[in-house]
Amino acid sequence: MKKYRKVLTVLLLVTFLALVTTGCGGDGSSDTTVKVGVILPLTGSEAMFGEMEKNSFEMAYEELKAAGKTTVGGKEIKLMYEDDQGKQDVARSATEKLVNQDKVAMLSGGYSSACTNVIAGSAQNANVPFLIVTGSSDDITKQGWNYVFRGTAAPASKYTGAFWDMMEKVVDPQSVAIIFENTDFGTSSSKGFRTECQKRGINIVFDQAYEHGAIDFKPMLANLRSTNPDMIFATSYVMDASMIVKQMKELDFNTKLFVGNGAGYTMPEFYQNAGAASDFVASTSLWVPNVTWPGAKDYFEKYKQKFGKEPDYHGAQAYATMYVIADALGRATDLTNAGIQKALKQADIQTIMGPIKFEDWDGFTNQNKPNTYVVQWSKGKLEVIWPEDVKSASYVYPVPKWSER
Amino acid sequence: MEDAWIKFGQTVICGILLGGMYSLIAIGMTLIMGVMKIINLAHGALVMVGMYVTYICSTNYGIDPYIGMFIAMPVLFLLGCLIQKYMINRLVEVDSILPENQVLLTVGIMLVLTEGIRLFFKSDYRSVVTSYSSNTVFLGDMSISVPLVIGFIIAMTFTFLLHMFLTKTDLGKSIRATSQDRDAAVFMGVNSSKITMITFGLGAALAAAGGSLLLPLFYLFPDVGHLFTAKSFIITILGGLGSTWGAAIGGLVIGLSESLGATYISMGYKDVVGLVMFILVLLFLPGGIRSLVKR
Amino acid sequence: MLNKKNMLMTIVFALIALVLPLVINAPYQQHILILVLIWATIGTAWNLLSGYAGQVSFGHAAFFGVGAYSAGILTLHYSLSPWWGLILGPVMSMLIALPIGAIAFRLRGPYFALATLALGEIFRLVFLNMTEFTNGAKGILIMPSITSKIIYYYAGLGMLAVTLLVTYLIVHSKIGYYLVSIREDQDAATSLGIPTTLYKNLALLPSAFFTGLAGAFYMNYVAFIDPNIVFNLTNISIMVILVVMLGGVATTWGPTIGAALYIIMGELFRTTLGSANVLVFGVLVCLIIMFLPNGIAGELDIIKRIAQRKKAGLSGGV
Repeated sequence: MKKYRKVLTVLLLVTFLALVTTGCGGDGSSDTTVKVGVILPLTGSEAMFGEMEKNSFEMAYEELKAAGKTTVGGKEIKLMYEDDQGKQDVARSATEKLVNQDKVAMLSGGYSSACTNVIAGSAQNANVPFLIVTGSSDDITKQGWNYVFRGTAAPASKYTGAFWDMMEKVVDPQSVAIIFENTDFGTSSSKGFRTECQKRGINIVFDQAYEHGAIDFKPMLANLRSTNPDMIFATSYVMDASMIVKQMKELDFNTKLFVGNGAGYTMPEFYQNAGAASDFVASTSLWVPNVTWPGAKDYFEKYKQKFGKEPDYHGAQAYATMYVIADALGRATDLTNAGIQKALKQADIQTIMGPIKFEDWDGFTNQNKPNTYVVQWSKGKLEVIWPEDVKSASYVYPVPKWSER
Repeated sequence: MEDAWIKFGQTVICGILLGGMYSLIAIGMTLIMGVMKIINLAHGALVMVGMYVTYICSTNYGIDPYIGMFIAMPVLFLLGCLIQKYMINRLVEVDSILPENQVLLTVGIMLVLTEGIRLFFKSDYRSVVTSYSSNTVFLGDMSISVPLVIGFIIAMTFTFLLHMFLTKTDLGKSIRATSQDRDAAVFMGVNSSKITMITFGLGAALAAAGGSLLLPLFYLFPDVGHLFTAKSFIITILGGLGSTWGAAIGGLVIGLSESLGATYISMGYKDVVGLVMFILVLLFLPGGIRSLVKR
Repeated sequence: MLNKKNMLMTIVFALIALVLPLVINAPYQQHILILVLIWATIGTAWNLLSGYAGQVSFGHAAFFGVGAYSAGILTLHYSLSPWWGLILGPVMSMLIALPIGAIAFRLRGPYFALATLALGEIFRLVFLNMTEFTNGAKGILIMPSITSKIIYYYAGLGMLAVTLLVTYLIVHSKIGYYLVSIREDQDAATSLGIPTTLYKNLALLPSAFFTGLAGAFYMNYVAFIDPNIVFNLTNISIMVILVVMLGGVATTWGPTIGAALYIIMGELFRTTLGSANVLVFGVLVCLIIMFLPNGIAGELDIIKRIAQRKKAGLSGGV
């Protein structure tokens, strides 16, 4: 009796599997569409960014459609979204599905470094072009993978380009402290910063990782205070950023400059939570709404109006990426994986994130040289303070003490 | 030298104040674990739901979080009762090889609560900023956050009230009796299914209270609960299963040890300190703090 | 031991499993099958310690992660093929199982569960913070040398087959009966003179071994790991419990059925239900556990028992 039922169960499972196989398999032909797979975290703890990027993709797509640019070689570009749940093995499944089942012409997306790593590896294996939106681990474009492209995202260690320029000309600190979340982005970017400091002989007085999501940073900050650094360089996940800044204020802990490294320090949520404590906090950034690139301001306003929420650079990355995709597909002589790869390699396009070109430099492959900025919060607004030729406000340095504000 | 003392004092104060909040959340769990002997992995999710209720009160109706808390608590009490009555209770009645399948049910509940909230509120990070959110008072050179102090006082008040409830009222006594020996309690005429239902509700309400107290100084997103589940376990075991005062003291101990760990070892290892303490207590002090108090 | 019908069934299953990738000749479906094999292996390993011996572990991610990292570190520091990890990984997992067992087996029931949970988390945090040795949160990224799914499928199938066989042999030997007696009543087992701690370790070591093996295989297949992935409490330690509970605790085929259900259902929901997919999955988990508290294979046994009792009643109790 038991065994028969077991057979039944297994048979059921096999049919189930067969259903999966055939259920989605019918859509193989791509006579009328060019499929582009987009893998983003749409559930799980990273979904907030996934949603923002999906919205931005859609917005860009609609604009391109209105301009007639979504039809390439008589075929319509079709975006196929997949949810990676912020888990890397799910990202792998999504890639396998898009590549083998849906036979996409190219892939895009990738939010967390872990998921982006896995998608990139599978895409390279299958020789399907993959254009990264956000994933910023240095290693991804350092493998020599010719099918992996990173345009709108900088390698984590290169977020600080503009900031080093400002360091030399303005800040020139005697001692710095480094704090970072122990994630891929945090470790990579603080490593880049550390090496650069050592090269320039800047004294690092404090250097510590923390586990993100803590309620209380005061023990670490009290420790940090006793080393009395001129400047703090912090890489933090979304809300940790505001917890750190708020608690510095509570501790009345003053430095000449507090610099965040993108991520948590440039998001609207940072100001919402930190309030007045956000004033004068500087941050590196890849994009700000009032940057001078054409279309940037429009994108910001339009997104805010449409979704009732301010986008940050993550949204801009997705928006610009959609334009890069449409451009590459439009130029590709044939819409095969190899043809699109070639078209991407030759890309040279102006986007709201600046010009995008895929070059090989410093050990990177197909990596756009990022445009970076230094921004500073001023009464709830992000102002560009460096490079000086694109600044929207002058920098404040050294920043006033908490008690003097 | 002076500096070192300030650092030490600051660490201790932060640890104790934060520990007070942990206590309140953990007391909810210790009640549930004590009476029902199940590991409730949905506890953090209940904290999270409670925080969202307070958040809605605050943003939509302008109710201060410390008052909104008294709306979140009955809501969560009800939710807890329903979960216990219609879901977990079913499993108590059926026969299964491993009683741990109740744990799995709480995992399912956690998933449903978290993703349900996400469907309504998206994954956005939300904060409740009050006029006193970043107020501080200074004790010498050590700063003390005002909302933390308020939270600490309220948490300790609740602990005291709960203790009175458990020791002085009939219902409270029945809960304690069920916790100590379910069969004997049933034999003595205690309606055990009613008691477990109320206990679960009470646990959920306390979880909501703890979450709401953190709201003015923390932030909110659907996955915030994970943070509290693991901490509550540690504290529950540290304090001794089912012991209110044990959990209260356990919370303070964990808050303090994490704080000290963060200052003197490294912020990255601060959770390890708590976990190692947890294992040591399991091994060498199986009854938790409670067993120390009982002479 | 194996009776004829049982044997026949196993052969039929084995044949289906052997030809399956040839019938379903699509890399995506093969990928799903490989994931099923990995989870079935972890599930079967967990089932030995927790299902049969009743020592419910919430820390199997520690073994999985150590297995995966053994393979990763061989490549990272010694430039060896990660395939050597299939040998080193399980051994390392067994080595860490010894102290874990020494600590956790002093405890019982929910206390044991919580101790393993804490130990698993400690491993995650240590691997995360030992940046020099493990690459920390950056994780380890390799380029797999083999790209054909078929090879991974058969390797995974071999792994599962060995795990199932060893588990089956243990469970149906004297050790197995002792393990079940420990689960049912540890005090009675002790009073009968069974050295319970020894036998629990005899369940833990193979369990750790095969979980580590699955971890090393995972590293080879997915080609990227970081501590937050392979030592994950929710996504590994708790999910393996879910897999076994869905399929059937303390049954031979339960974990495999559970793994197939978990992976295929999850993937089906993910591709069809959009952003509500995890919610629906959670609802389903609640329903299955509420209505099939012993999992699919476990409930079949009960159904069978009822049927047999009826039969016995009809034939007048022969």
